[in-house]
Amino acid sequence: MDLQNQQRVKDAAEKYGAENCVVILGSSDAEGAEIYAETVTIGDPTFAGPLAGVSLGLPVYHIFDEAIRTECNPEEWENHISMMEMVLEPEELAAAVKNIREQHSKESL
Amino acid sequence: MGKLSNKKLLLLGERDGVPGPSMEACLKDTAAEVVFSATECFV
Repeated sequence: MDLQNQQRVKDAAEKYGAENCVVILGSSDAEGAEIYAETVTIGDPTFAGPLAGVSLGLPVYHIFDEAIRTECNPEEWENHISMMEMVLEPEELAAAVKNIREQHSKESL
Repeated sequence: MGKLSNKKLLLLGERDGVPGPSMEACLKDTAAEVVFSATECFV
């Protein structure tokens, strides 16, 4: 994850409390989604950014996870996301993030 | 009340996946607040 975004995630967790934050990913591949999910739960796996060694344990979901999808405005979903939903592997992406969440997030929805 | 009520959302989109602004548009009607929205690119 971009170092600047790692800092923004860290700042938000400190400002609002990790229990009040939810990270939602729009990653296109499962491997990338897992790295993002690890970064916001157990810390930056590359040890390069502000989240290196920082275990925030944030609840993390892929946008394709049913828990998030059901909260979205259906019309906006159709306009903005349905095309990518057909091209990508939504179940695989949601499952990859769920796997990390169940192991490392301190909270979930 | 939705599951996201009163939550602070951190949206990490991807250019080749779902970009941040697309997620923001879909979630703007929830009772959650989008704290930040980013779109990364791996090229």
